[in-house]
Amino acid sequence: NVQPPEKPLQAEEWNRLRQSFQSPAIFEEVMFNSMVRCNSPIDVAKSLLTHVAKSNGDIAYNLLVKYLALCVQQGQTKEIRDVHDIMKIRFKVLESGAYNLLIRGLSNSDQWRMALTLLEEVKKIMIPSRTNYESCIKAASRHQEMNLAFELYHEMLAKDLVPTLDVLQAFFDFSRGMKGAELQKELFGILLYLRENQIYPHKTFMRSIKLWFESIPGGNWRGHLTNIKDSGQCPVCNHQLEDSDLTEEEYSNLRERIIRDVIHGTDTFRKTSPQEFEAFQTFVENRFPYDIVIDGLNVSHIKPRKMQCENLFDAVNCLAKQNARLLVLGRKHMLINSSNWRREIMKEMQNKADFFFAENISEDDAFLLYATLRSGKHCKFVTRDFLRDHKACLSDSLTRHLFRKWQRGHQIVFSPSVEGKHINFLPAFRYDCVVQTTGDTWHIPYKDTFEEKYSYRVPRKWLCIQQK
Amino acid sequence: SCSPSEKLDLDAWKKVMKSGVQEEVSETVSEHKELSSLAAAREILEMWRLAGRSVPENISEEQLKTFMECPSKSAKKKYLKYLHLKELYKRNDKRKMDEKRERRLETQEQASKTDETRRNSFVCLWANCMDRAYSWRVAQSMIFGQPLVFDMSYEKDMSAREVANTVRQLVLSEGCNRRSVDPFHIHFCNLKDDSLYHKEFIKHYREAWGKLLITVTDQCYTDVFPKDKLIYLTADSPKVMKTFDHNKIYIVGSMVDRSIKTGVSLARAKRLGLETAALPLEKYLLWNTGAKNLTLDQMMHILLTLKDTGDWKKALEFVPKRKYYGFVTKP
Repeated sequence: NVQPPEKPLQAEEWNRLRQSFQSPAIFEEVMFNSMVRCNSPIDVAKSLLTHVAKSNGDIAYNLLVKYLALCVQQGQTKEIRDVHDIMKIRFKVLESGAYNLLIRGLSNSDQWRMALTLLEEVKKIMIPSRTNYESCIKAASRHQEMNLAFELYHEMLAKDLVPTLDVLQAFFDFSRGMKGAELQKELFGILLYLRENQIYPHKTFMRSIKLWFESIPGGNWRGHLTNIKDSGQCPVCNHQLEDSDLTEEEYSNLRERIIRDVIHGTDTFRKTSPQEFEAFQTFVENRFPYDIVIDGLNVSHIKPRKMQCENLFDAVNCLAKQNARLLVLGRKHMLINSSNWRREIMKEMQNKADFFFAENISEDDAFLLYATLRSGKHCKFVTRDFLRDHKACLSDSLTRHLFRKWQRGHQIVFSPSVEGKHINFLPAFRYDCVVQTTGDTWHIPYKDTFEEKYSYRVPRKWLCIQQK
Repeated sequence: SCSPSEKLDLDAWKKVMKSGVQEEVSETVSEHKELSSLAAAREILEMWRLAGRSVPENISEEQLKTFMECPSKSAKKKYLKYLHLKELYKRNDKRKMDEKRERRLETQEQASKTDETRRNSFVCLWANCMDRAYSWRVAQSMIFGQPLVFDMSYEKDMSAREVANTVRQLVLSEGCNRRSVDPFHIHFCNLKDDSLYHKEFIKHYREAWGKLLITVTDQCYTDVFPKDKLIYLTADSPKVMKTFDHNKIYIVGSMVDRSIKTGVSLARAKRLGLETAALPLEKYLLWNTGAKNLTLDQMMHILLTLKDTGDWKKALEFVPKRKYYGFVTKP
């Protein structure tokens, strides 16, 4: 690796450096890379360019791009424009790397409108990246051209580009204190976008939202940070949050899709067999509705030191209170008397709950989903599995969101803290953890940290906004 | 002396870049509007190449169309990289061939100078003779040998590239079977004419395809052999193979699975009600990384070795070394 010089060099000096370098053919490239890394003064880069131009009569495109990167890094607007002009003269089209740099560089300068022109140019040859849009949107909103910014935002959504949280936050930051019903509607639209896609803002984004609400002239909005009670009531405004139930239509939609995509998929034989699935269907038809469906094998592994059937026995006893109707799904091997599966205990359990034993090579998760969905909205299921692979089988994002919502409201998981004596369960969420509004209140769940949490983990902290 | 930067005109490069290209510009303006989408794509590729991305230097019309049909940006990138690497390999091979030829010519020249007459009791016809000996053995196996079935019914589960890979592996498998001491009688079952598999085979074998000493049929193996003799080999099988049975007919699914499609071949065996088995990889190898599914030619090597020796350790030497740490040492 080479250290770039601190001052511009003469041609001879560059030549000497080049010859001492192990592979002179790529000397300029390596040198430019390290200039970008060290953020060298552009005069140094210029002197190298001049040397290259004089000795070759031309400068290769990749060197120009690297020089451009250096200029963008240092916000040298004039140079960026010059490089742009030169590139335009020398090449019919530019590629995405140069466009990215040009748009990024110019959008941060007073020549930001030129970035918009460039964006139009990119559109002619390819779909601009989301960062292209991000630069332009930020530039427009920084200059208070909110209409333009929103126009670009809708355009990128129409192209199926996913906006970064950064862009969304910028909208709130730059709209602070601005008036206008249209603007307000657009920003509410962003909140609804978060709702539809089950995105949770992080703490700083949440703060931008709060500040924007409170800055609306004559809006009288007040925001508070809070935790929602298990009952789903907001302690600040006493508002009851939406419950996590799906509508009739959503529910039957989800059920159809689970059967079609998850259980049958491309080939019913991959997860079960048609005979077995039919047998299971009749089994459920004859006995449903159940209140709780249990993934027997999954539950039997809660405590590794205990016998597997004991774990299951504890779980069944714990859930069997209040005459709940239970269905336990297992595999045939559980019926063979073994050190982990004692016949007496299995017998005993079968008095308290219905059991269905699938073939050893079948996937019981698919049955779990089916039985729960068939039993109706009130029915919950128990497993530690996050069911991510099943969610992935669903073909469109809308159904996947439905599935997540349903899962949040219907999955009973073990309480992790109580690993001691007894098996304990966390009840399924009674309220839906998603951005929601009633018109004069907004409730927005947010993540504590910036980095992405596991997608299955749901935030516990909320921003409550109400209009006085 | 004065400092060097004083004498330097730092913007001299701009003048150089702006001069001497005027005539080109006037041409491009009129051309610009008439660029067809293909030509435009070609231009962008050229720019990417100039920018130092992994892009092939030459690209055919057909490849360009495939490129444009790629559904996403990353798919496009991957396809270009694949073409780029292919081009590099090809160029390297060609260079090596050229070097080899040169060396050969040189040695020939030297040999002719020394003018040494060689005596040998055999006419040099090794390759030809070996071929005949191999063919004889395979012909024998077609009458008396143990059948081995390749199930060619996975075309719809694979992309075009996966099918091409599959056929390549099958060609390798057939090659090593032919060269073995006691070859299998290979059956390609469920192979439809004009299928993608078929087209790829023709591409590889050309006219030799009709002369291969294997059985090709569009029938299913269940129509050709008694069901109770068939065993479907699949990594997803719950049953583990203990010994190689010389009276059974093993089936290998001709499928390359780059994405994760678990249970496809197991589903097939289940549907047909066939017995299944997996290789005892866990039992003999300390597994390191990688999927348990092996390539078709590896399967072929393993099965041939098992058939000849029954020695699992020897057979499983053909599992790629990166996939396991070592063999399990038994007490």
